[in-house]
Amino acid sequence: MSERTHNRVMLALAILLAGIYLFPLYWMYITALKSGSEMFATPPSFWPAAPRWNTFAEVWQSRQMGRFLWNSLVIAIGATTLIAVLGVGCAYVLARYRNVWVDIGLFLVLMLQVLPASLMVTPIFVGFSQLGVLDYPRLAVVVAIAAKSMPFFVILVRATFMAVPQELEEAALVDGNSRIGAFVNIVLPLARNGILVSAILIFMQAFGEFVYSKSMIQGIELQPASVGLNSFMGPNTNEWNNIMAFATIYVTPILAVFVLLQRRIVSGLTSGALK
Amino acid sequence: MIAQIELTGVNKHYGNYHALKDIDLSIEKGSFTALVGPSGCGKSTLLRSLAGLESISTGTLKIAGDVMNKVPPRKRDVAMVFQSYALYPHMTVEENLTYSLRVRGMPKTEARKAAAEVARTTGLSHLLDRYPRELSGGQRQRVAMSRAIIRHPKAFLFDEPLSNLDAALRVHMRKEIRALHDRLGATSVYVTHDQIEAMTMADRVVVMRAGIIEQQGRPLDLYDKPANKFVAGFIGSPAMNFIPAQGGQDGRSVVLDLGQPQSVDVGYPVQPGRELTVGLRPEHITLAPPDKAMLKVPVAVVESTGAATYLTTATTPELAVVINGRGGTAAGETVGLDFEPAQLHLFDVKTERRI
Repeated sequence: MSERTHNRVMLALAILLAGIYLFPLYWMYITALKSGSEMFATPPSFWPAAPRWNTFAEVWQSRQMGRFLWNSLVIAIGATTLIAVLGVGCAYVLARYRNVWVDIGLFLVLMLQVLPASLMVTPIFVGFSQLGVLDYPRLAVVVAIAAKSMPFFVILVRATFMAVPQELEEAALVDGNSRIGAFVNIVLPLARNGILVSAILIFMQAFGEFVYSKSMIQGIELQPASVGLNSFMGPNTNEWNNIMAFATIYVTPILAVFVLLQRRIVSGLTSGALK
Repeated sequence: MIAQIELTGVNKHYGNYHALKDIDLSIEKGSFTALVGPSGCGKSTLLRSLAGLESISTGTLKIAGDVMNKVPPRKRDVAMVFQSYALYPHMTVEENLTYSLRVRGMPKTEARKAAAEVARTTGLSHLLDRYPRELSGGQRQRVAMSRAIIRHPKAFLFDEPLSNLDAALRVHMRKEIRALHDRLGATSVYVTHDQIEAMTMADRVVVMRAGIIEQQGRPLDLYDKPANKFVAGFIGSPAMNFIPAQGGQDGRSVVLDLGQPQSVDVGYPVQPGRELTVGLRPEHITLAPPDKAMLKVPVAVVESTGAATYLTTATTPELAVVINGRGGTAAGETVGLDFEPAQLHLFDVKTERRI
């Protein structure tokens, strides 16, 4: 097979796989636009005959989506800030010191990453309830998400810091800066891209978080959109177009951010964000 | 002599590894000192200890008379040029130059004036707005140098600053750095593994091996009177020939073992029968008619650069010989070699010390 046909076959395969992968997303969008009867038509239509755009406005109103999205935003921003502030320092130390304790620390960090949220939620719930943290349910979720996602952030940012040559810091020290000054003036600006990218990934994770929010936030007025979407669905649900409209409103902003930033995200993850 | 840098009994341990062993070193104010040795000899550790990037385990380190053992780098007032240049990639050349001034709280306008001044002397004026990634290797090197000289530190520390440059530029920068040193009247410590750099640039050369100072002195003293076999082999290019030998029975000659014994009268007493290593530099050997020469040996390899001819003999051990101009010999021929007995360096076989 010539290289040209080979490339074409591979491209066709890639498009096919991407199509399969993205089909649910497409289905979400068109279902949101379908009318009640068209949703259940057999054979299903792949393009809505008469798109109903006001489904979105109705769902936004009836489900009070503004409140849900605001809660999601509060939780995501809170968790991302907490993780970024604590994780950057942690990642820097793990990047700059090499000894047995650092290796043990890294191993434990990776172990934490392995534990699923649904396993951790019970002990966290009991602990938080005893400490009284559950009186501030969104804070409780923020702390829980931070604990869960910190390892991921630390490992990504550590790689970024390791890509910053130590000689630059040493040059700053000899040039007359303190260790903290060298970190703030030299290391942080050079690692900025990697930190930003990692923080965006964490934000997107936290924005969609479900398990902790579902179990720790009882009051509907404090629940994020993920829980709101879940409570929309019951055993006898048939308003799929409304559910899909909810999902569309919820997911589209994150999707847009990802598409806009994907080039930076990918390069930040692979290159250590440093020329 | 005023000592600008003074080390007494300095030791450095990394866990079990003993990187610097009882280093005593005094560096004169205004001098250019080269630390030279093979990789892993401790020269870079020593330099980093001077900068404060490594802390010494025991001993005293003084800069300009003040004990600096526990002083952090920023308070030592030294400048360092790194092997990788360590230019700040997110700053322009001007910002790189003024960084040390701004950190010390100098107003920005004053710092910019200083940068312009330094840039003029180092030929960087037209590059001040560029970023390091937009510069060539030689230009980066110049920025690194300028960054060091913009303030007037108590000492300049160079960590193999030329090793990333190509050969022609390296020779050029050698002269430029030395000229800069002389102009500024600075005290410089220069680490290199290249003995030619050390010989050509420095007032004093410190030869190190395995954490020990093997010998220190003026470049030509090291060349003329190496204290031991290691220094003899390290200084000089091509490297010195070493020939196993014994003290002759008459008490004033050595018997060289080049396959067959060859007695040479050295003109001073040598203990008869003593096991020796005799050193002889390739450039101190001359060609002579075979029947009148001290040594008669077959030639294995002839390499000519035009200006000089390099012969390698088919003896055990083989001898390297450098002859000015064209040698007029070919591989396989037998040639006569002559040398002045005074040019022989005698070393004890066991201690490898000079006799």
